[in-house]
Amino acid sequence: MTLAVASEVGKGKVPGLFDIDGTAGLPGPAPALVPTRLRAVHVGAGLAFLLGAAIASLLIGPADLAPGAVLGEIASKLPILHVHSSLSATGAVIIWQLRMPRLVLGALVGAMLAVAGASYQGVFSNPLADPYLLGVASGAGLGATIAIVDRSDLGHLPVDPLPLAAFAGAVLAVAATFALGRSRGTERSPASLVLAGVAVAAFFTAVQTFLQQQHTPSLAVVYSWILGGLSTAGWGQVELVLPYVGAAVVVLVACRRLLDLLNVGDEEATSLGLRAERARLVIIVAATLGTAAAVAVSGLIGFVGIIVPHTIRLIAGPSYRRIIPLSLLFGAGFLVLADVLARTVLSPEEIPLGVVTAFLGAPFFLVVLRQARRLG
Amino acid sequence: MTVQRAARTRWARVSFAIAAAMSVTFAPAIATASPREPSGNVVTPAAAFPVSVTSGDGTVRIPSQPTRILCLSASATQMLYALGAGKQVVGVDEYSTYPPNAPRTKFTGAETNAEDYLSLKPDLVIVAYESGKVVQQLQLLKIPALVLPPAATFADVYSQLTELGTATGHQAGARRVESSMQEHLSLAVHAAGGAGRGETYYFELDPTYYTATSKTFIGAEFSLFGMTNIANAAGRSTAYPQISAEYLLKQDPDYVFLADTVCCHQDVASFAHRPGFNALVAVQRHHVITVNDSVASQWGPHTIETFVSLLAGILHP
Repeated sequence: MTLAVASEVGKGKVPGLFDIDGTAGLPGPAPALVPTRLRAVHVGAGLAFLLGAAIASLLIGPADLAPGAVLGEIASKLPILHVHSSLSATGAVIIWQLRMPRLVLGALVGAMLAVAGASYQGVFSNPLADPYLLGVASGAGLGATIAIVDRSDLGHLPVDPLPLAAFAGAVLAVAATFALGRSRGTERSPASLVLAGVAVAAFFTAVQTFLQQQHTPSLAVVYSWILGGLSTAGWGQVELVLPYVGAAVVVLVACRRLLDLLNVGDEEATSLGLRAERARLVIIVAATLGTAAAVAVSGLIGFVGIIVPHTIRLIAGPSYRRIIPLSLLFGAGFLVLADVLARTVLSPEEIPLGVVTAFLGAPFFLVVLRQARRLG
Repeated sequence: MTVQRAARTRWARVSFAIAAAMSVTFAPAIATASPREPSGNVVTPAAAFPVSVTSGDGTVRIPSQPTRILCLSASATQMLYALGAGKQVVGVDEYSTYPPNAPRTKFTGAETNAEDYLSLKPDLVIVAYESGKVVQQLQLLKIPALVLPPAATFADVYSQLTELGTATGHQAGARRVESSMQEHLSLAVHAAGGAGRGETYYFELDPTYYTATSKTFIGAEFSLFGMTNIANAAGRSTAYPQISAEYLLKQDPDYVFLADTVCCHQDVASFAHRPGFNALVAVQRHHVITVNDSVASQWGPHTIETFVSLLAGILHP
């Protein structure tokens, strides 16, 4: 499918990267005809989805707080309304210290993974690219495993070393991928980067598996981290990821036009005044740092970075000027909603969030794939 | 259990059961009692062999009384020494810390190649779970291998004692340990004087709120005192569910037991510092108790008796 697009590009037809909307195979729509401007209805739908998910996530939980009392408690904190809350002290703690940070963290992580996924797919011209493509997951996994295995030796530390170690591991893995992907002269082609990412991921995973095997008692803790989740979310984690995720999302949203340009091919992009190599680097660095921060606090949550951007492509077309901002809204909403399911389906038992997203994501992804094949 | 085949979800659920099988080090606090010295060591005459022992997932035939036992389960090690088979043990895994004089090796029980064990020339291997196809490989090598999976009830503990007694030629020793354990438990319950009845508790396995319900051997120890586990509602599909901070706050248990002091360095202060936990009854009344992780992963008589005594002391000081 991607190959077909590439040949079309050579003939001066400029469809989107992914021809799931069916335009690629048809005689060429000119670039100007591909709709690129955000439509109010899409943004409105995204905001409504996120708001709905947020309200559900604040109202639903094992503590059975009355919805009216919860809304009253939130309204009482708004300066204009002068509402008095009828919620108990414990209820207020549940809303402000447990449900609210969990909601905010879920939204941040979901937005980050979806936007990073969309960006990776654009940069690598590969519909299967996800935020973990360059080794973020295996690097974070190794970092977290080292922290868990060593925790029993390190003793008490003022800060939890786990997210920091996971973040450091993720950044290290991607840095290794970059160093290795460069081997062919000075040029860093997307293909050699992806291959280097596969090699680095395999290596880091091997080291992690070895460590786990050597420290079997920590197996359960490592696995519970890998499966991902927001069950221990607090404001501390929000503060930890907000700078990275915020900066990364701002950069990626600002780069949405560049992603459209990169899609027409490096030569064309260069002729339009874009330094393709540098643009690609900026986008990858931003997406990677943001993803590393998200993974560090939430573990490995799969499929958000694939299904959210692809759904948006189906609905809103192939332009990144639409995909990136909409991925932000729908990614945030999707993960918040998935987390609501994770804590309600078997309530009061929690299901690992990564299981929920993959359970929803895998079948969905197959549907997207079938549709793409039929149209391609 | 074939890990490769298991779905990831299931893996998450069983990982604590597996962790339970792979025990961790003992805290000094619960390792104070001296090793049980079996009196009146009755050895069944070798003529009683061959014996067949049914355990875990099959029947194992043991042709003659084992003299070189390799025990890769900390719980089974405690049982073997208690019932009088200690002299037949040539090696235990690195997590078998009780009794202290057991011949510890570097084996973890997670080895996937039976050949690793051959250097000790074992004539009986005891494991808590099957790692890879190691039991099958041992069978090919004509070495009987006994799988004694994590116990869920005291009945499981007693039947494992019986199996080990039969397998090692110490049936009488097994019966003796069983009755002394029962006596110890009823004395502890008596000492508590009903103080635990109706009290609720939360037993933490890790700081992400993985916990053990009443359907585990550790839960059974609390049930002896009439205590109620707050996580039972979450235990429909697994005995080791994950709950949430919110559910814990809502249930507001009378007692909290932290069994993640080794793996995850939790203590009373770090628990009380979690958002909103300061208001918990258990925190206010100083009913947050730290224990070694191994109380939830070792179901040997020494660990169980020590913990039950500790519990009686907490409930009725």
